[in-house]
Amino acid sequence: MIEQIKKVWQRRELLWYIVKLQMKAENKNKVLGFVWSFLDPLLLFLTYMILVHVIFGRGGPQFPVLLFIALLSWRWFASSLQRSVTSVTSKVGLIQSVRFPLAILPLSGIIIGFFDWLFGFAILVPMLFIFEASFTVNILWLPVLLLIEFVGTVGACLIVAVVGTYLSDLGNIIQFVIRICFYLSPILYSIEETVPERLRTLYLLGNPFAGLLESYKNVLILGIPPTEYVLVGTAVGCVAFLVGLWYFSRDEHKLVKSI
Amino acid sequence: MGKRRRSRALALLLERSRDRRESAGEFWALRHVSFTVERGETVGIIGRNGSGKSTLLRVIAGVYPPDEGKVSVQGEVSTLFSLGTGFNAELSGRDNIYLDGIMIGMTKTQIDGIIDGIIEFTELGDFIEMPVRTYSSGMRSRLGFAIAMNSDKDIVLIDEIMSAGDAAFRQKAEAEMNRIMGEKTVLLVSHAMGTIEKFASKVIWLDRGVIAAMGEPKEIIEQYLAASKVKKRPPDEY
Repeated sequence: MIEQIKKVWQRRELLWYIVKLQMKAENKNKVLGFVWSFLDPLLLFLTYMILVHVIFGRGGPQFPVLLFIALLSWRWFASSLQRSVTSVTSKVGLIQSVRFPLAILPLSGIIIGFFDWLFGFAILVPMLFIFEASFTVNILWLPVLLLIEFVGTVGACLIVAVVGTYLSDLGNIIQFVIRICFYLSPILYSIEETVPERLRTLYLLGNPFAGLLESYKNVLILGIPPTEYVLVGTAVGCVAFLVGLWYFSRDEHKLVKSI
Repeated sequence: MGKRRRSRALALLLERSRDRRESAGEFWALRHVSFTVERGETVGIIGRNGSGKSTLLRVIAGVYPPDEGKVSVQGEVSTLFSLGTGFNAELSGRDNIYLDGIMIGMTKTQIDGIIDGIIEFTELGDFIEMPVRTYSSGMRSRLGFAIAMNSDKDIVLIDEIMSAGDAAFRQKAEAEMNRIMGEKTVLLVSHAMGTIEKFASKVIWLDRGVIAAMGEPKEIIEQYLAASKVKKRPPDEY
């Protein structure tokens, strides 16, 4: 498994190129091109703003910025997962031409997703000022939270990339699972307002994403340290990472033959 | 118990989908294929469609690990160039040259050094900035061939890309083949027997995954052509 990490690290220039060229290819034929990187999160945000804030009249004064942070981080995870389902099968030509560590393929999707996160973050920064977020030293937790999310996402994506290659139906299943998880996570609502008090601990323990999203909100807006429930997400993330790495390494050579 | 059964069902589902394409009995794309190629030699590989020629090149390129037996390659292998694969269709020819170069382990600076030569060789002109999806198959093969010839790798694998070019390009490609002959080791898959005869010092004839014959180009090609003449087959083969 360490071998796998080494192999990918040795080919990091290739990884970087695939990311760069993939982003280029995705934006090339669009009139607005690169602008979509900013428009996408904004439009997503506006949709849910109208739905929750305007139509249902929910959410406090800081709701917009809370929503935006949760959406950004969620989108990173969800889009990475979606990309990785077909990450292997969509690159048949490349895979059959030259030998390279296949883990680069799902990984490149995660990195592209992270760039999307960064573009979104550029919009978030002025929002933080507008909605008077309190900046404290706790903002230094942000890279740690991102790392936790990255590790977990890598694990999940490695598993999904393998299973998605064997089973094309996974694309449909994942779409559904992502939707369910979206509603189960504190993105459109805050835990305090929605989840009954006696279920709150259970909720935070049961949903690895809940603690992470709450922690993003804590460090960016409230200026307080992450909730202790982020440890649930960290543990689940690390386990997913190890399982994903093991599973992918075990099946890597079978993948080539099954496409 | 219940849990265990479920995981077994899932495993079965995965197993089934994995084996879907091979489920009609065991199929070996290649078996008992054994040969050696000397440094600087050009080997032609011929055979009918589906006889395992491309699979053989992929095994040599390290793409498919062999299920049994061993492949030993001394030196670095360039990308396997075949028509219509390996390129990212949305990207320009130029970007694809970089991608391909990086794929086979060159650095960006190395590619910077050779890219002008490659572009000149392709004669694609301004098309080099256009997405590869707009290319004709001849243009794609020019691009692939140019990269194959200019990479610094010792072993070049070519899967039927010379035949798609026009007459002028073929001449040029043949001149280029002459230039690298003896310097690089080339494995050439082609249905153009003329090309094979011209360049190969040895020919391997593959038939349904096994070596039908191997040796002197002229001789093997004759045998292959003789065997390929449409014969009346016994009815049970249909």
